Amino acid sequence: MRIDRRIIFVLIAFSVAIPLIFKIGLPNRVTKEVRMVYDAIDELEREEVVLVSFDHEASSLPEIKPMADAILRHCFSKDLKVISFALLAEGTAIGDQILRDIAAEYEKRYGEDYVYLGFRPQYTAAILGLGEDLHRVFPEDYRGISTSELPLTKKIKNYNDISLVISIADGDLPSYWINYAEARYHQRLAIAVTAVMATTYYPYLSSGQIKGLVGGLKGAAEYEILIGKPGMGGKGMDAQSIAHLVILFLVALGNVSYFLGRRNNSKGTG
Amino acid sequence: MSHIFWAEEIIQKAQVETTCATGRKMEIGTLISALLTLFVFSFLYKDNPFYKFAEHLLVGVSVGYFVVVAINTTVLPKLFLPLFKQGNLLYLIPGFLGFIMFLRFSPRLSWISRISLALIIGAGAGVSIPAFMQAQILTQMKASMLSFTSFEGIVVMAALCTTLMYFFFSKEHKGWLGRTARVGTWFLMIFFGATFGYTVMSRISLLIGRFQFLLGDFLHIID
Amino acid sequence: MLVQFFIPHRSFIFAYENVLDWMQIIYVFTLLVGVANYIKINSKKVSTKIKGWGYNLVALSGLLVMVILGFAQGTGEDTPFLWMFNHIQAPMQATMFSLLAFFVASAAYRGFRARSKEATILLLTAAVVMLGRVPIGNMIHSSIPDLANWILNFPSMAARRGILIGIGLGTISTSLRIILGIERTYLGRE
Repeated sequence: MRIDRRIIFVLIAFSVAIPLIFKIGLPNRVTKEVRMVYDAIDELEREEVVLVSFDHEASSLPEIKPMADAILRHCFSKDLKVISFALLAEGTAIGDQILRDIAAEYEKRYGEDYVYLGFRPQYTAAILGLGEDLHRVFPEDYRGISTSELPLTKKIKNYNDISLVISIADGDLPSYWINYAEARYHQRLAIAVTAVMATTYYPYLSSGQIKGLVGGLKGAAEYEILIGKPGMGGKGMDAQSIAHLVILFLVALGNVSYFLGRRNNSKGTG
Repeated sequence: MSHIFWAEEIIQKAQVETTCATGRKMEIGTLISALLTLFVFSFLYKDNPFYKFAEHLLVGVSVGYFVVVAINTTVLPKLFLPLFKQGNLLYLIPGFLGFIMFLRFSPRLSWISRISLALIIGAGAGVSIPAFMQAQILTQMKASMLSFTSFEGIVVMAALCTTLMYFFFSKEHKGWLGRTARVGTWFLMIFFGATFGYTVMSRISLLIGRFQFLLGDFLHIID
Repeated sequence: MLVQFFIPHRSFIFAYENVLDWMQIIYVFTLLVGVANYIKINSKKVSTKIKGWGYNLVALSGLLVMVILGFAQGTGEDTPFLWMFNHIQAPMQATMFSLLAFFVASAAYRGFRARSKEATILLLTAAVVMLGRVPIGNMIHSSIPDLANWILNFPSMAARRGILIGIGLGTISTSLRIILGIERTYLGRE
C-alpha cells in the first residue's frame, strides 16, 4: 500500500497541532539522568559560581530554550552566580536574551549576580584557555566592559573558581568540554543537549565524567517538574506523545504492507 | 549621532501593532516571522520561489550575523585591543597569521596560508593526544571494568568487546571473529535504534516549537 | 602543546598560553575567509546575471543589512540587529530544521522495515525508546519507560562506548601522524 507523502505530512501536522489546541495533560515521569543535573545544581552553596555555555545554533531553539530556561531558573532561585558565553556564534544572541530574561525574573543584577561574556571561536583553545586565565580568553564581556572590572568576573581566575559547568548544546561540543575541561582540569560538568545527541553521552554519564544529562524537550519538561515551574517543555509533551504514536503507527502500517506483499509474492511464485 | 539611529526608528515603526487574523493585536515582527515560517513550510508541497527566497535570505542574514559577532566579540577585543590600545606587539603574530589566510584567494600566494593552518592543526593535534587518551579511552575502559559485577555489567562488557571486535579490520571477519563481530552489529543496531528514536523525538520537538509559535504568538489560538 | 602537558615548565606554559590565544584569533580569520568566498561567489552570480541571480541578490542584501545594522547600532538589547535575528534568522532556521520531522515520518513509513535480524533489532529498539521516552508510553504500560531506560543505560551505552574508544584511538593515531609529518593532506598534499 502506497500513501502519498503529503498525506503523511498532513497526519504529522495534525498530530502536533491538535494536542497543542486541545490539551490532554499526560503525566510526565522524571528520569534519573535529569534528576542528577538537578541534584548537581541543588547541592551547590549560595554564591557559588556556575558557568553556562550556550553551545548551539538558532535551529535548535525550540528544544534549547525550555532546557536553558529551567536550568537558569534553578540556578537563580538558589542564588548562584552565573557566568555565561557561547562557543557557537548563533548561540551568542540567544544566550544573552535567555540569561537577561531569566535574571530579570529573579531581580538579579548584571555584573554582580550574572555576567554574559559573548562568543569565542575555536572551542578547544577557549575551553583550555579558561583553565589558565578567564581574563585572557575574555578581556571584555559582551557589552564591552572589562572583565577585570566587573565585580563577579574580577574574582574568577580559572576553573578553580567555578563550581559547575553546564553545556547547553545541539552538537558534539559537550565532548570538547569532557575532553579538555573535565579530563584535564577535573572540572565538574553537566550537560543539556538536544534529543538527537542524547544517546551519544550515556557512556560519559555511566563513567561519571558528566554529573547529569537533560535530553531535549522531554528533559526540559522533567526539569520543570523538579523546579515546580511549568514551562514550554511540559506544554509540548502531549503533542510529542501523539506524534510518536502516529509515526509508530505508520511504521507498523509500512511493515504490515511489506509482509503482506512478500507473502503474496511467495504464493504467486509457489 | 542622530543619523545612525535611522534603523532604530524603522524598527520602532515596525513594532506598531497590527491586527492579526483572529482580530487581536500583534507586532509586525511576529507577522514577518510567521510569513517566513510559512514560506519555509511551503517546501513540503514542492520547491517554489517563496521557499527559495526564504532559503537565500536565511543564508545571507546568517552570514551577516556571523561577521558582526565574530568581529565585535573576537577580532576587536582579542586582537585590536591588545595590539593598538595596549601596544602588545606579540599580537602582531596572530594578526599576521590571520591576515595571510586571505591569500588563499591568490593562486600564486595561497601556499602561504598553509602556515596558519599548520599552526591550528598542529596545536590541535598536540592537545588532543592526552585529552583523548584520558577522556575517551582510559576513563571509559575503567568504567567498564568496575561494572563487571552484575547482569548489566556482563551485558556492558559483552556489548563493548563485541562492538570493538566489529571495528577490528586487521583480520578477516570469519570463524569466531566473524561470529563475535556479528553480535557486535546487534549491539550497534540497539544503539542506532535508540538514536533513531531520539532523532524522531528531537525533530518532533522542533516542529512543536514552530507550531507553538504559529498557533500561539501568531494566531492566538493557544496560550 | 603536547610537551607542556608532561613538562609544565614556565617557558612551555608561556608558549602554550600564547598559542591557545592565537588559535582563537586565527580561527576566526579562517571563518571570515569563508565569508569572503561566499560574497565572491554570490557577487559573481549577480554580476553575470545567471539563472536565479535574484535569489543571490536577496542573500547579499540580507548579509549587507545585517553587517550595517550590527556595526552602526550595536548588537545589544532592542537593537535592529537583534530584531533581525529574532524575527528573521532564528524562526527561519528553526523551521528549516523542523521540516525534518515530516521527512523522518515519511522515511520511517517507507524504509523502516524488519527485513533482517539486524533491521528488526533496530526497529524494536527505536519503537521502545520512542514510546518509553514520552508520557504516553508510561500510560500504555509502566514497564515501557523502564525498558527504554535500561536499553539506553546498558546495551546502547556500551555500543556507543565501543565507538568512542575507536574514535579515541583513531584520533590519537591521526594526531601522531600529523605531528610526525606523515599526514599532510590538510595542507593539500597526498
